[in-house]
Amino acid sequence: MREKLPQMTITRCYLCATPLPNKLTWCKLLTQTKAPVVCEKCLRKFEPVTCQQQKYKDVTAIYHYNEPMKDFLHQYKFMRDVVLSKVFREQISQHLKDEKATIVPIPMHPEKLKERTFAHIDELLNAANIPFTHLLEKKLPTTQSSKSKREREQSDQLFRLKQHVTIEKIHYVLVDDIITTGTTIRHAKSLLLEAGAEKVTAFTLIQG
Amino acid sequence: MHFKLNKSQPLKNLYVPHHLINDQLRDFLMGRLWLYEHLPFLKETIHQHIKMGYIQTIPGIRMIPTTHKLFSNKKYICNRCHNENPEFFAHFNCAKCQQICVYCRHCIKMGRVSNCSSLVKWIGPQRKNLSSYHPKLNRSHLFRWKGVFTPQQQKASEELIDSVKKNLVHLLHAVCGSGKTEILFPVVAECLMQHKRVCVATPRTDVVLELAPRFQKVFPNIFIQALYGGATVEKRYSPLIIATTHQLYRFEEVFDVVIVDEADAFPYTFDETLQQAVEKAKKPDAPILYVTATPSDELKEKVEKLKGGYSFIPRRYHGHPLLVPRYVSLFNYQKQITKGKIPKKLRDWTSLRLTNEEPFLLFFPTIELMEKAVPLFQKLHPAIEAVHADDPNRKEKVAALREKKVPGLLTTTILERGVTIPKVQVAIVGAESGIFTASALIQIGGRVGRSADCPTGDLVFFHHGITFEMDEARKEIMMLNDMEVLM
Ligand SMILES: [Zn+2]
Ligand SMILES: [Zn+2]
Ligand SMILES: [Zn+2]
Repeated sequence: MREKLPQMTITRCYLCATPLPNKLTWCKLLTQTKAPVVCEKCLRKFEPVTCQQQKYKDVTAIYHYNEPMKDFLHQYKFMRDVVLSKVFREQISQHLKDEKATIVPIPMHPEKLKERTFAHIDELLNAANIPFTHLLEKKLPTTQSSKSKREREQSDQLFRLKQHVTIEKIHYVLVDDIITTGTTIRHAKSLLLEAGAEKVTAFTLIQG
Repeated sequence: MHFKLNKSQPLKNLYVPHHLINDQLRDFLMGRLWLYEHLPFLKETIHQHIKMGYIQTIPGIRMIPTTHKLFSNKKYICNRCHNENPEFFAHFNCAKCQQICVYCRHCIKMGRVSNCSSLVKWIGPQRKNLSSYHPKLNRSHLFRWKGVFTPQQQKASEELIDSVKKNLVHLLHAVCGSGKTEILFPVVAECLMQHKRVCVATPRTDVVLELAPRFQKVFPNIFIQALYGGATVEKRYSPLIIATTHQLYRFEEVFDVVIVDEADAFPYTFDETLQQAVEKAKKPDAPILYVTATPSDELKEKVEKLKGGYSFIPRRYHGHPLLVPRYVSLFNYQKQITKGKIPKKLRDWTSLRLTNEEPFLLFFPTIELMEKAVPLFQKLHPAIEAVHADDPNRKEKVAALREKKVPGLLTTTILERGVTIPKVQVAIVGAESGIFTASALIQIGGRVGRSADCPTGDLVFFHHGITFEMDEARKEIMMLNDMEVLM
């Protein structure tokens, strides 16, 4: 169960702690964009992926995996600084808010979830106000990165369908934080297609 | 035999079954305030000790209900770093405790402390002190230092010992290169002889890395633990800890003496919780010894108010005066560097250092400007490197400069203190920038002429206009040079 969190006004950059300018512009009021939680200097360090630079077919990534992004992901996922889910909420919202397809986050194993205390993909989507549906389940708690590439290619299906879900003949968009080899997405995609999905594409925050 | 341990009673006076204690766990945890989930011991071992009443667990975050009408929110306090500022607390839906959970962002770099995480501390029997292990421990075994003090250094070192005896706060005001680390050796030796636990704290990791081996050399037979972000923490007892002030969040009421080195360095001066961390880590009446080349007025007043001790060393240990900076105008240097050109005066200065094979440090006001300048300087000599605060290879690059593998380094203010390089020449590019306060300028100037065989050198402030801070620094340096020296 998700409970509503208390509203906090954000006065400092979440990444470098410098005070944020509190500009309330008409543009912001009219377009209802959310106030940024990081300063412009920090935001500029992240490098967007252009159309030509997209590495994988049917996958849209928004940022490159440069040093500042490595630090960000480390602090978010491994230091478990949950509020960093808000850093890219505007960018994620821009990409997904008009999406007609059903959004499906890559799931975490329940054991891993308890250890991390939050589902990092779900939180990215929550922060961006994007509704989503969980259809998949992770079979094993082992992490991708502890296996070699070869092992990953050869391993059996990483996911299974959740109980009592039916896959319709529609378009699904998978969401993950980072795509490095494409294996995770490929596994999830083939499972959904086999179960009857019409089309499966993917969206990731980072392209490794 | 059976007995119940009552947590509120002091355990020292009770009979305790020592054979049940895991010595390693005790030695590690004594004085520490550690995240339960980060304890490097088996869960069963930890639980056993909790059951025996030797380890106390406390919640990571304390909650205080506020009765204020306007703020229905609760007030939070982090039990590790004592942060109370609501800006540094974050809420989230926690999958572990299945409710809205709070965590402290202020000290998150040391592992997240949340509502549902516990901190542990040792409340069991204390470790027997060194003498019971080494009854023959004598001063010469403990303390191996063959240096000779100048009369001023001798006087200051005795004054420090005196203040510790009286449990008094002390300010050691010693100019750069006056051998202040050496001045600390006798007082540390004195404390260790009495089985006191000592911490040398400094705001900067670089200083920890420089100090630890120097202390280890003169105290070869004790285990010195150096603590900083990313350091390997050994599961042993250490009577002498050399740590960044940040790391003191992880200690509680344990040190008999805390020495705060470079007491004026950022971020110690700005961050009140860091100052609290020092207070929290030491025993309530343990003295703090502040060491700095540039004490702030606040620090001087604080020590005065507490009727603490004060030692002042205006001269460098080799007796030569401090270098007085030369001002050299360098108008529009920012524009020129941005356009891909090193201003002529700066290029000439650098070329002269390269011809004379003198190592040099070039200080820049911002990383951005420095990064633009690096490729330009590398055209003068391909081995020239740059360092900044987040550079993972900083240590190696400074070592390379010392070993003359690198002719010179471009740097931000990160190298303003704690770095000793023989014969180094220093220039500041943009000395008028706000980041170069008088104390920063004095510290930077202190890098030059530190060794007795080469007490001179060049110190240039390249500027786009002279500031009050630049003049303050120069005045202070000249004043220190004019002071009467007791010999
Ligand atoms: Zn920032
Ligand atoms: Zn904290
Ligand atoms: Zn929790």
